[in-house]
Amino acid sequence: MSILANLLKLITYEENPDREGFVLKETSADQKATGKNEASSIGKNSPDEQKKQAGRGSFKKPVRPAGKVTEKPRKIKDSGEAGAVQTGQTAGRANEKPVVDNLSVSASLAENRDTVRILYGLPENKDIIMREIVIGTEPVINGFVIFIDGLVDKSIQDLLFQALMLFAARPAPPEKGKLALFVKERLLPGNQITLQSRFREILDAVNYGDTALFLEGCADALLVETKGWEHRGIDRPTIEQVVRGPQEAFGETLRTNTALIRKLIKNENLTTEFIKVGTRNQVNVAVMYLRDLANPALVAEVKRRIDSIKTDLIIDSGTLEELIEDNPYNLNPTVMATERPDRVAASIIEGRVGIIVDGSPFALIVPTTMYEMLHTGEELYTRWQFGTFIRYLRALAFYLSFLLPGLYLSVVLFHQEMIPTELLLAIAGNRERVPFPSLVEVLLMEISFELIREAGLRIPGVMGTTIGIVGALILGQAAVQANIVSPILVILVAVTGLSSFAIPYYSLAFSLRIYRFFYIAMGAMLGFFGISIGLFAQIILTANLKSFGVPYLAPIGPRTVTGADVVTRLPVFFHEKRPDYLNPLEIARQPDVSRGWLEQKDGGKDN
Amino acid sequence: MVKIIKEGRFGPGEAIVLLGISSMARIFLPYPRLLVDIGGPAVWMMPLGGLAAALTGIYLMSLVLKKSPGSTIIEITEQAFGPFIGMAVNILVTFQILVVIGAVFIREFSEAMLTITLRYAPISLIDAAFLAMGLLGAYLGVEALARTARLTYLYVLGGLSILIFSLIPFWNFHNMLPFFGNGPKEVFLMGTYSTAGIAEIIIAGVIVQAMGGAKIFAGIGYRAMLLGFGILFLSLTTLVLTYSWPVSEEFTLPFLRLARTIYLGRFFQRPEAIFILVWGIVGAIKIALLLYTAAVSLARSLKLPEYRPLIWPLGLAMFILSLLPLDMPSVIEVDAVYIRSAILLPDYLLPLLILAVLWLKGRGARAGS
Repeated sequence: MSILANLLKLITYEENPDREGFVLKETSADQKATGKNEASSIGKNSPDEQKKQAGRGSFKKPVRPAGKVTEKPRKIKDSGEAGAVQTGQTAGRANEKPVVDNLSVSASLAENRDTVRILYGLPENKDIIMREIVIGTEPVINGFVIFIDGLVDKSIQDLLFQALMLFAARPAPPEKGKLALFVKERLLPGNQITLQSRFREILDAVNYGDTALFLEGCADALLVETKGWEHRGIDRPTIEQVVRGPQEAFGETLRTNTALIRKLIKNENLTTEFIKVGTRNQVNVAVMYLRDLANPALVAEVKRRIDSIKTDLIIDSGTLEELIEDNPYNLNPTVMATERPDRVAASIIEGRVGIIVDGSPFALIVPTTMYEMLHTGEELYTRWQFGTFIRYLRALAFYLSFLLPGLYLSVVLFHQEMIPTELLLAIAGNRERVPFPSLVEVLLMEISFELIREAGLRIPGVMGTTIGIVGALILGQAAVQANIVSPILVILVAVTGLSSFAIPYYSLAFSLRIYRFFYIAMGAMLGFFGISIGLFAQIILTANLKSFGVPYLAPIGPRTVTGADVVTRLPVFFHEKRPDYLNPLEIARQPDVSRGWLEQKDGGKDN
Repeated sequence: MVKIIKEGRFGPGEAIVLLGISSMARIFLPYPRLLVDIGGPAVWMMPLGGLAAALTGIYLMSLVLKKSPGSTIIEITEQAFGPFIGMAVNILVTFQILVVIGAVFIREFSEAMLTITLRYAPISLIDAAFLAMGLLGAYLGVEALARTARLTYLYVLGGLSILIFSLIPFWNFHNMLPFFGNGPKEVFLMGTYSTAGIAEIIIAGVIVQAMGGAKIFAGIGYRAMLLGFGILFLSLTTLVLTYSWPVSEEFTLPFLRLARTIYLGRFFQRPEAIFILVWGIVGAIKIALLLYTAAVSLARSLKLPEYRPLIWPLGLAMFILSLLPLDMPSVIEVDAVYIRSAILLPDYLLPLLILAVLWLKGRGARAGS
């Protein structure tokens, strides 16, 4: 019978009751907003006005940030509401949720338990662990701990539980009000324990890997530092490698990163301030500077900018960089990101400010200049002659990386008289077989090169290293043999690529890669005149930049005291002053004669 | 209360380079040929009189600016001549001098670029390209312009040095004879008259506050004039030493001719295209500075709080005026006959008149008291 029914079902028409499957419907807030718009458009009676409205809707005029200031800000849910997690299952009781910012710990354990359950959406929220305990004092005290599985160090927690449940056999104080203090001072061996009565702070601490202990009859919770999540160890730098110098790089753990800097700057004036950013993820951002050296106005400005950020999520320092930089619309980066603690330490000692975002292996340094983006730490670790040689080589690479293809096109298309006759004949001979115009040829090669670079980065594992060889050798050779490009262009693109790789700061190299395409267009259109237009525009736009109040091209444009380490790297004993444009509280780095042994005329005689 | 226009600030070094580059911009144009025409083999001596005049002009302008240390020449003109006549003089200076000079420069640079490299391009395209650079520079302000000048001047001076040293093998000192060329009157009197205008002291008078004020104006001005006239002197000397003066008279763009002459072996020859980079950047700085000065002068005259809205209309006016001359000879004629005389009025006559009026006013006040 069922077979017959199935057969009938197979050959008869049935309307699909669930054709659309799952549809993510608009939230009530969105519907309200739409309704409001509709209502306002209904209010407009004349057809002209309605047309105007439709016109406005079809083209949204961009609003300047300055203009937005005057607008009434759209209310972003504050961290309190954000903290009150709204999972799908708890959405039904969202209305019952207390506003966590105003919540205080109650003396009733049951009440606290219920509050925590609501706040964390228990028992649906599985990685939040709430454990009931009985403290073995006389009389015994009931309590519970709350922590997040995976964020805490289990060995510390074992010690905590042992101390409370096994080794706490002593009389409890008769006053309930002193219970938390008693537990803190007598029973718990942890190194960082605080008393906290507000749920906002308790939740923040638990979310950050601490364990909260609630006790019966006590209106405070004890926060025990049990942070201990899995993390990558200190590794070698992968982006900023050096032959000579420290081989440590930042990791993803904030405290480890700050410790790496503190390890290098053993000075009591080194200050680390934490600022919480992000309404949803509440990431800790460390601002590090030397109290007696960094310009207070600079430190205040850095803190002001970070403090004022209103966004829901910051995962990496790259996001923060975009939110605090002076000119986000310009291609040039005005904040330095580095994975090297030694570089941050050296910058802090010059009077700059380091910014570290929890979870990001790249620290930010502000203010910075373009010349510093062409430096690596290595020039200071090797002999000064080597450092200077590398700097000049890099300066050449800087120009070649964005100008070479544009100059080639200018010469080939407009200024052939510049090319010596033999070379001209060689180029013409090679180009004879190529069917494309020079511009197409250059664009083909440049785009192929960019694809190889991008593919090399994205392809996982072993293949990633081989793609460069495949791309460079096989593709270039095949393109020449297929008469798609001329051999000289392969050399040219390769030199351009190498120059681009020689720029030590990735963001700057990236911006130059984009500039290169502008110069290709300008060179192909107007020859050297086009290149001069591009240069003028680039120079004036770059000269106009500032990084936290410091001109981006200092100390050359504007000219300030040049110092011993801009392009030419003079010997270390000439580095007597800190960069003038940073206006540090103490400009002198070392005395005029830093090698004291030169003045000790009888040096060595006693020995 | 009128909001003060934000001009930015830059240092004396940047100011010297900016004004120096502005003064020397004419060497890339047909201007040296016109000087050879007047002075003959003694053309190299002609900037000496102009330099003396320019230094005097700077001194006069500094005297004027010291009368009201917080103001520019625009406000001082109004203080001297009263609000109506002063404003009229300022607007006249803005339009007749700065805008017209800007237009002539745009056209001359564009024609030069057509002659050198882009022979088949329409003049309006090159004109528009120069205007675009001028608009960008003027919009970003004099501080950015000064920094750009400071960043590029080493390349400009380096290029000129290479040019001069590369031509040493072609020099013939007999080309300098007869020593006084077409006669002392032509060399010194006409030379002073013809070269004094390149100083464009009025520009310095308008941007004086961004340069650091009246106190350091004279020092900056003297050095800038020495730089500008020094480069003119070296260029003219190289021209007359490399080519005899009758030949030099035939070149439309003598600088281009000199660059083309370079022959340092079979591999390094005809590098004139490299000089286009220098040429283009110097032209852009000059045009941007003129446009900026015109906009700021007009904004100050009209008591406007912001100069930027004026950049586009003034730029457009420059662009249209630059397209009015029929061809290159016409624009050279406008430059040689009208501009050269007209520029002397705000550079030299205006400060003198202001000083005279202020002196008379002061005398009247003293007599009254």
